[in-house]
Amino acid sequence: MEDVIVRLYGKRESPQAYAIRDFLQRSDVPFDWIELRDNEQARAELGLESVDDARLPICIFPDGTRMEHPTVRQVTEKLGWFRNPSRSEYDVAIYGAGPAGLSAAVYAASEGLRTALIERFAVGGQAGTSPKIENYLGFPQGISGAELAERAREQGKFDYDARVPGIEVQGDYLVSFKLKAPNYNFLYFLAMPNVVPVAREVIEGYAADTMGHPVGTGPYVLREWVRRSKIVLERNPDYRGFELDTRYADMADEWDRRAIDALAGKRLPLVDRVEVSIIEDQQPRFLAFLNHEHDLIDELPLEYVDQVLPGGKLNPQLAAQGVRVFPELQPEITYYVFNCEQMPKAPENPLAGYTPERVALRRAMVLGHDRNQEIQIVRKGQAIAAQSPIPPGVVGYDPDFRTDAQDPDPPRAKALLDMFGYVDRDGDGFRELPDGRALVVQYKYSVGGQAPRDLAGLWVKCMADIGIRVEATGVQFADLLNDKRVGNFQLADSAWIADYPDAQNFLQLLYGPNTDQSNESRFKLPEYDRLYEKSLKVPDSPERNHLYREMTRLIFAYAPWRLGVTRKFNHLQYPWVKGYKKHPILYTNWKWLDVDVAMQRAALR
Amino acid sequence: MTAYVIRRVWQMIPTIFGVILLIFILFNWVGGDPAQILAGKISNPAQIENIRHQLGIDRPYWYQLWVFVKQVFTFDFGRSWSTNELVSHIILTRVGPTLTIMLPVVAITSGLAVLFAVLVAYVRGSLSDRVVMIICTVAMSVSFLVYIIVFQWLFGFILGWFPVQGWSEHFWKNLTYYAPLPIMLAVFVGVAPELRLYRSFFLDEIHQEYVRTARAKGLPENSVMLKHVMRNALIPILTNVGIALPGVFVGSFLLEVFFSIPGLGREVVTAVNRSDFPVIKAVTVYLAIITMVINLAVDVLYKFVDPRVTFK
Amino acid sequence: MSAILDNPPAAAAQDSPGLWALAWRRLRQDRVAMVSLVIVAFFLLMMVASYAGLIASDWNKEVGVSYANPSFMAGARNPEAQAVEQRNAAAKAPPVDLSDVDPLAPRYKEWAERAAKIAVHETKRAQTLPFGGDKWGRDVLKKTIKGSEVSIFVGLASALLATVIGTFLGAMAGYWGGKVNDFLEWFYNIFTSIPYILLILAFAAVATSTGKFGKGIVPIVLVLSLTGWTGIYRLIRAEYIKHSNREYVKAAQAIGASNTSRMFHHILPNVSHVALVQLSQYTVGFIKAEVILSFLGFGVPVDMVSWGTMLAEAQNELVIGKWWQLVAAGTSMAILVTAFSLLTDSLRDALDPKLR
Repeated sequence: MEDVIVRLYGKRESPQAYAIRDFLQRSDVPFDWIELRDNEQARAELGLESVDDARLPICIFPDGTRMEHPTVRQVTEKLGWFRNPSRSEYDVAIYGAGPAGLSAAVYAASEGLRTALIERFAVGGQAGTSPKIENYLGFPQGISGAELAERAREQGKFDYDARVPGIEVQGDYLVSFKLKAPNYNFLYFLAMPNVVPVAREVIEGYAADTMGHPVGTGPYVLREWVRRSKIVLERNPDYRGFELDTRYADMADEWDRRAIDALAGKRLPLVDRVEVSIIEDQQPRFLAFLNHEHDLIDELPLEYVDQVLPGGKLNPQLAAQGVRVFPELQPEITYYVFNCEQMPKAPENPLAGYTPERVALRRAMVLGHDRNQEIQIVRKGQAIAAQSPIPPGVVGYDPDFRTDAQDPDPPRAKALLDMFGYVDRDGDGFRELPDGRALVVQYKYSVGGQAPRDLAGLWVKCMADIGIRVEATGVQFADLLNDKRVGNFQLADSAWIADYPDAQNFLQLLYGPNTDQSNESRFKLPEYDRLYEKSLKVPDSPERNHLYREMTRLIFAYAPWRLGVTRKFNHLQYPWVKGYKKHPILYTNWKWLDVDVAMQRAALR
Repeated sequence: MTAYVIRRVWQMIPTIFGVILLIFILFNWVGGDPAQILAGKISNPAQIENIRHQLGIDRPYWYQLWVFVKQVFTFDFGRSWSTNELVSHIILTRVGPTLTIMLPVVAITSGLAVLFAVLVAYVRGSLSDRVVMIICTVAMSVSFLVYIIVFQWLFGFILGWFPVQGWSEHFWKNLTYYAPLPIMLAVFVGVAPELRLYRSFFLDEIHQEYVRTARAKGLPENSVMLKHVMRNALIPILTNVGIALPGVFVGSFLLEVFFSIPGLGREVVTAVNRSDFPVIKAVTVYLAIITMVINLAVDVLYKFVDPRVTFK
Repeated sequence: MSAILDNPPAAAAQDSPGLWALAWRRLRQDRVAMVSLVIVAFFLLMMVASYAGLIASDWNKEVGVSYANPSFMAGARNPEAQAVEQRNAAAKAPPVDLSDVDPLAPRYKEWAERAAKIAVHETKRAQTLPFGGDKWGRDVLKKTIKGSEVSIFVGLASALLATVIGTFLGAMAGYWGGKVNDFLEWFYNIFTSIPYILLILAFAAVATSTGKFGKGIVPIVLVLSLTGWTGIYRLIRAEYIKHSNREYVKAAQAIGASNTSRMFHHILPNVSHVALVQLSQYTVGFIKAEVILSFLGFGVPVDMVSWGTMLAEAQNELVIGKWWQLVAAGTSMAILVTAFSLLTDSLRDALDPKLR
């Protein structure tokens, strides 16, 4: 593979050329990128009339093959990477050649299992794109993410039984990884919940809908699934069973105590059948719980919070029935994204840029937005104001870090706008740009729910109060995702829940090279990027927390976001549900539950 | 007769093609790109491009349109873009609950409406006629959304006569336990406009010459109403029920949303919200075909109800 | 509807004012119609006054506490407002020093001085409002008035547009027949074969997502009218087919009236009562359809209010005992729609007395 030199010609901003470059880069294929600047160059190099020729980008392979306007797939095919399986049978198939998938594959292969690794794009998955994942697997001599991917691909292609240096299987239950350079999130990658070894028969039998037929060794079997409506699980009779692990229990915690009372010493799971109702509208979801049609309700709808928990305490009628509330703060934040970039061909974006004037406008909008009302009225107090981009529950969170930097302060907002020349010249109650042209900010939200609409209305209202005209447009959810990714917006709401509980997972949202991916603000501040890259090389320590704090201050100063909240969720159960405790990461906890059936029946009469 | 049916079926082809074209234009215009949803949280442009390629939405428009046409005639719309469920499976499993609700609704509504319409037409012009008409108008004026919210709260929760929501896999349990409240709601909302309409059909007939003749002959009023008026008024009523029938398949999505009924209406609304093009395409085209076939059936049925009708 | 028109040389030969004057006389004798007319006129007046900013112009002001009680039940519990009050008492956070990284740092002093000069006035929020408050503390009564302006306008505008589209296309198909008729019938069949809810959702999705349908309430008006013209098209087409063979049309042709003139000057006045009745039926239908569109999130923009957005907002409020928004929007809509429908009935009867 090393002798392949692919030459790629294209225009500077060409997205197709970018996609191919990105692919070649991540797949570790040596290539030359020839950027066409003018028509003359196009003529000289390729014999084309102009740089706007529709045949661009053009890819020329070592054997002289010339591909005009190729797709990534065509390039892949040309490189000979579409392989027929080399065996008729595999022991393990792993979906997704990301870091976790790769390590799972390498692990399985080194155990002597015949392993197939299935990846829809480039081997390396996310690892291939991010320098941050460099050196994450311990190989004797240094190896980059892309190199690692290349090696794994070669193994996958040629020899599943080959041993991978650095990984050693020591007995039936122990495997050791030797890291060359430290990566402090390596264990999190391995523990990400979407890595599941899947039996070969499953892939063969349910090729097109593997996810619809979960096969495994877990406690429950999927009995019925009406998508978007109902899920029925039944106990797996062949499940090995387990006992409650009480080693880490906190006996001061009433939930832990009750769970131990109910479950300790019993063979789990205890519940034979789990019925999950998916109800989109809030009124029936809530009323059905009150009517005992359901035993638990996850995430009590906000509309009913002040009835169920007046003053933060459970309503006496529900308390008399023995209902319990489990409050939960999820490791997540919400935020509003300012698009910091003027996109080509888009209408003028007054929020774009890093000049004091533009920064001032964004800062003023942050100060003008009444987050307290968001928390009080829209979120019914079931949220805490985010103090930094790092939410509680992730490593790097500092509970003592509280600032007023994102607190609403309309007088300071107005003063700032006045100071930079955003003043109302024509007397219509709305300010103009410093050069006198109209100032209108476009806000995008997704239609369908009441909350996004309320949040949009709150922005329009708060900005009108400080004299900024905001126009809110509702779009389809899928469109909003797309628009945010490609920068086709000015202001929009967003949220992020931890993939792995480390601050890095949140701070990458503003890392310059992640533009077009998770960096929806298209925020590119060299100082921030430098700090971010530095923080990757440091373990959890006061030093790293200091770096995180420096980055947070930059976020406050340049305001690519208006920070929102971390939401609180209330999960309700009737007293016949025993052993309840919400798992901090997993969504479900049925295998740790018991139901007092007699009590349940009595309540239903 | 056969020639007529053949000609009508032949005329359906351009209409079906028009439906295909309209839906294709509309939803390509919306452009809601499902690749973003499928790509998940961390994804780059190339991955998204790849998903688009797998879905076939990076192909030229004429090619996509051709695929659409092919799908219509092979009955194979593939899988839902948002849940990966087979589209045929979605339709087959969701149509049952919808029909469980809507067929009784149409039957009960039409029956009640005809019954009341006859009674009201019988006493036309009287105070009771006027009062019933005004009650109907008032009942029609309240938003369906308000009815659902209030009825669900009142009958499902405060009084506890019905379950608030739900659905099971057993037909009889659904029909007798979960369906009555939604059915009642739809009937309540549906009777008023139909009653008004059918009353006007009866009055139309009552004003006809032959009725006057029948009366002049000295036939008793009951006999005039039941034998003559009823029979003739049934023709427009039949048409009206025919027009309502295709709607049965979509059902009332509001009912399905509020009562958690896994029906077709809710599926369609979600599909639009998720840009789930395969589901939208399949449901629209087949419903359009069903609509046309039912219209034809009603026209043919005319022949048997009304001997005056001839096919050109 | 068509019974009278089969033998009307007398009626058709008359000037149309005769028909209208006659209808008006009949309408005036109809007590229900007159009451309805007064109610409709009242709503229209309210719409105009609200549009002109004479009433409810400050509907958007948060004058009361969250879910303020209606005045007539001032003593009722309001846990929502209490909760807001308690939570607002939270302490302020300390400042963070940004001066070494902040591009605005050089002007901190000026900023502080300017900010100090800007006065802050806290408004006292009312505990009760005439007909209660919504969750933001806005006056539900004013909201309802403003909402009726938008809803009625949406209903009228889309009904008018749908009637214009339907009448124009119906006239074309009915008058010209032949290929024009075939084409329009094809078009009509397409629109009516697609289930209405799907059609309207598709159009709404296009209108909101692309932004090409204009701003404010323009998209919703376009969506309703572009999907709703079919009924009137069918009726007007039938009328034109009948009328184009009438003697008076032939006579007009004989004296050299152009096709356009015959279509719109001669025939149109004779079928306009059909259009009028349809117009008023459509208005009612569209006011109701707006509610459903709002429920689906395709309603009017966030800084406007309509009955539909009020009902969508209020859908979860009944269970928590805040019934007033639901009742205010639901009732005012029911009253207007009832009056409008009764008026439509009387109007049809007056214009077409044989149908009574």
